[in-house]
Amino acid sequence: MSSIADGTGRVEASPASERRSLPMTAKAALLALAAAVPLLFAGDYQLRFLAEILIIGTAVLSLDLLVGFGGLVSLGHAVFFGGAAYAAAIAAQTLGADVVVMLAVGIATGMASALLMGVVVMRTIALFFLILSLIVGQIVWEVVFHWREVTGGADGLRGFPVLTLHTGFATIPLNNGVALYLAALVLALAAYFAARSFVTAPIGRALLGTRERQLRMSALGYSIPRIRLMALLASGAIAGAAGALYPFVNQYVGPNAVHWTMSAMMIIMLVIGGVGSLYGAFIGSAIYLGIQTYVSSYTDRWQLVVGLVFVLTVMIMPKGVVAGLRAAFGRRKDAEGRS
Amino acid sequence: MGFYAVQSLNALSFSMLLLLTGLGLSVVLNLMNFVNLTHGSFFLLGAYVGVYWLASGAPWWLAFPVAFAAAGLAGFLLERFPFRQFYARTHLMQVLLTYGLSVIFADLMRWGFGAQILSAEIPEALRGVVFIMDMPFPIYRLFIIGFGAALAFALWFVIDRTIWGAVVRACVTDRGFVETLGLDTRRIFTAVLVISAGLGGISGALGAGILSAYPGLDEEVLILALIVVVAGGLGTFRGTVLSALLLGFAMTFSKVWVPEFSNVVALAVMAALLVALPEGLVAKKVRQV
Amino acid sequence: MTERFPLSRRSFLATAGATALSGAISAPALAQGAKPLKIGMVTSLSGPFTALGESMRAGMQMFLAENGGKLAGRAVELIVEDDQAKPDEGVRKFRKLLGQDNVDIVSGVISSAVALAVRDVVTEAKALTFISAGSANDLARKAASPFVFRPTKTNWMLGHTAGQWAFEKLGKSGCLTIAADYAAGRESVGDFVASYQQQGGKVGKQLWAPLGTTDFGPLLTTIAAEKPEFIFSFFAGSDAVRFLRQMREYRLHGKVKLIGSGALFDQEDVVSAVKEAALGGLNTCNQSPTAPSSAAFTKAYQALRNAMPGEMGTAGYVTGQVIKAAAERVQGDLSNKEKVKEALLAKEVETVFGPMPFDPRNNQAILDIYVNEIKEGTGGPVNQVIHTYKAVRDPGPVA
Repeated sequence: MSSIADGTGRVEASPASERRSLPMTAKAALLALAAAVPLLFAGDYQLRFLAEILIIGTAVLSLDLLVGFGGLVSLGHAVFFGGAAYAAAIAAQTLGADVVVMLAVGIATGMASALLMGVVVMRTIALFFLILSLIVGQIVWEVVFHWREVTGGADGLRGFPVLTLHTGFATIPLNNGVALYLAALVLALAAYFAARSFVTAPIGRALLGTRERQLRMSALGYSIPRIRLMALLASGAIAGAAGALYPFVNQYVGPNAVHWTMSAMMIIMLVIGGVGSLYGAFIGSAIYLGIQTYVSSYTDRWQLVVGLVFVLTVMIMPKGVVAGLRAAFGRRKDAEGRS
Repeated sequence: MGFYAVQSLNALSFSMLLLLTGLGLSVVLNLMNFVNLTHGSFFLLGAYVGVYWLASGAPWWLAFPVAFAAAGLAGFLLERFPFRQFYARTHLMQVLLTYGLSVIFADLMRWGFGAQILSAEIPEALRGVVFIMDMPFPIYRLFIIGFGAALAFALWFVIDRTIWGAVVRACVTDRGFVETLGLDTRRIFTAVLVISAGLGGISGALGAGILSAYPGLDEEVLILALIVVVAGGLGTFRGTVLSALLLGFAMTFSKVWVPEFSNVVALAVMAALLVALPEGLVAKKVRQV
Repeated sequence: MTERFPLSRRSFLATAGATALSGAISAPALAQGAKPLKIGMVTSLSGPFTALGESMRAGMQMFLAENGGKLAGRAVELIVEDDQAKPDEGVRKFRKLLGQDNVDIVSGVISSAVALAVRDVVTEAKALTFISAGSANDLARKAASPFVFRPTKTNWMLGHTAGQWAFEKLGKSGCLTIAADYAAGRESVGDFVASYQQQGGKVGKQLWAPLGTTDFGPLLTTIAAEKPEFIFSFFAGSDAVRFLRQMREYRLHGKVKLIGSGALFDQEDVVSAVKEAALGGLNTCNQSPTAPSSAAFTKAYQALRNAMPGEMGTAGYVTGQVIKAAAERVQGDLSNKEKVKEALLAKEVETVFGPMPFDPRNNQAILDIYVNEIKEGTGGPVNQVIHTYKAVRDPGPVA
């Protein structure tokens, strides 16, 4: 057990090094510890739940690329995520569920649907983009819901093989809480760094430019559709990778995964966590799923709670819970969090 | 012949429901540049009010003004807080705020009215059918077509042809200028929002006769209305009318010819429209998001 | 919602007698009595099946209250979770009940999709499971599982009997079908058509309406033009309400005979909402508020909920009855699941649905299926039993 925790610690060492504020080693150790704690104390159910938070959080992270940096609010984002989930589940039935193969299938599907979405919605902006992505998403949902032979229709898909990892000489099944949690953790970290490097790269800067000063960017010779398409593809790839693992947490995937309400849920998570912060995606997903799973055990009014948390976040902490709390309690850093 | 005549009337009555709901949404977008996703909640509130009113035995036609008043009151309160704080914000923030509020209202209404499906008692006078070349068509739907058309016309007249409409439109273009004329723009915006919410309420009361009232109706209606308004070309009156007719006819005739794929066909028509005309049927300059 | 029994409810006092009685019967289980029996129930308390889920929960709570919050001498702790009618959510909640709350029994489920989705979870955990309502045929066939009991019908049971009844009483031809286009609708219509055609009936036009259809006008105009002898239909919830109301709007109600699966004329969910527009409708269902076995329950339910019970309220109660029978037959010791299964399969359980033996091949209940006709009753239209198909058994794993 401890060796696994050490392993994650090493993976996390590099991100912490990029932040200057705290001693790097201390921060890395802290993160590794935080990641290892659930392994020691949580049961199978809790670990699977954490895996789900991380996977959905990764999908929300990919949405942040579009919303937070490109100003493109999509209500069709579930298509990238759910489409990849279906592709992985369907591919697993014939190819087996090797984690690398599944990720490849998921990323390819995510990017292909992003390309499709991109071609369709490219010329629209703002509310038109929102509605067109919603319509495209719902068309995909209709297809998934009705194509019983392939997608299982309303009942969804189950009974496909469990996720496995080939290590050269042995095949390890990843079908327990610990393995799924670790897989989701690696995915989330990899996605976080991929997204970070995307937004700090020239393409990410250009994307911000298209959001802030569209006309000026065009005048400078940037092709706005091309930049947006790149953002969609990057976002689709990350969402697809997350989608690829999603079916294996519960060995089930259903049409809900591509429904527009899933997209809306991702937006809520993103706003609660903090638009444009990347890490906020995971916080939002944890808060939302936590409320939904635990508050609903005590009251039928859990939707009221979600709604109130969401509205209060929008009204008081438009930059998300973390930035909001920081602005309220600390003097330093994101002081502009309170707007 | 009779078959297609009645199907066209079916399409027309459904378009009218879409139009009435869409108009409420479109009015605030058009005149105040505000995206209000709580509009579905106003619709559902109106539907519940209609159901209870029609069951109460009071004069049936009063159900519509009462639904208007109830939803209008809700709109009035919401306008005070928190809508007013969000007029100057981006569309994205408005979408987020109002979507969150609609989640809250959905749950509050389920709390108050229960989860059961309630269907409205259509008033005795409107219960019959007319036969058009041997095919039955309900009088209630004719009533919706007539009432809806009258309401839509009145609205268009007020906004486009009267001094009040001119004042409201002037508010959008240059609020400060209107203020210098000694007019209170805040109250004007309040009035517009109340009318919009009231329209939502009336559509709900009208629609309850066909759709019934139950938790979740708000969302279904909101999505359709949103598609109508946006595909029409944000907040233009003519665009909203055209796109309501287009969606209504697409939904109806796809059910006639390919019922299994009716949703896909109707959605595809609207998607094709937005791909071809990225700013909607009737384009209009809007402030940047 | 966590409800911890015993409840301090008024209804509770009324059944104090029953408490004493059940306490006496299960005296041997006193050793077990110290540890409460934890029952998990997953049902839909938000989303499209909210009303149904509330009824199911009420049925179960009512049963436990009548038993003084005790089954087989053990105090019962009922933990109710919401699945929003979403399979993903259902799986999450089943895992929570099993992994965190450590329940002895899981039960509930309205949506077939949820039932299918959790099938592998409960099978892997070897959890004693009672599916109260999810009615996909596959759960009695390919997806049957050793510890999943189904005290409810399969879609086949209803579609098949409706086909028989329609051929005998409604007509040999001129049948039109219209149903919601999703798994349950497809299965029901498929089984109806198979059974109707097998006897020589001829099926005409088949219409499919998308789930959540708001306006049936275009379809009803098509039906009016087709002029069928009778209609077989499957809709549930708000779809059913709108379909029936609009049938009347278009003057088809009363003109064309309508037969459907139970959900189309569910007493609490649909008939109480559409009222006269339901009159004359026929349906095949494993539940009827007027079935002899339901008499006492119907009365008690009406007193408690101010409504006639529909399928879901009854299903919640029946699930309680079956759990009670299982628990009592093993003296409250549910740890040996093989023994529980053996005891439950050994002889039938008397339930509000009727006598309920379990099929040893797939743990599927073998049920009496009622043909109900909606007639005017004292408190409005009501499902009246006009015929009973005795002991209908799903073809099971071989089909």
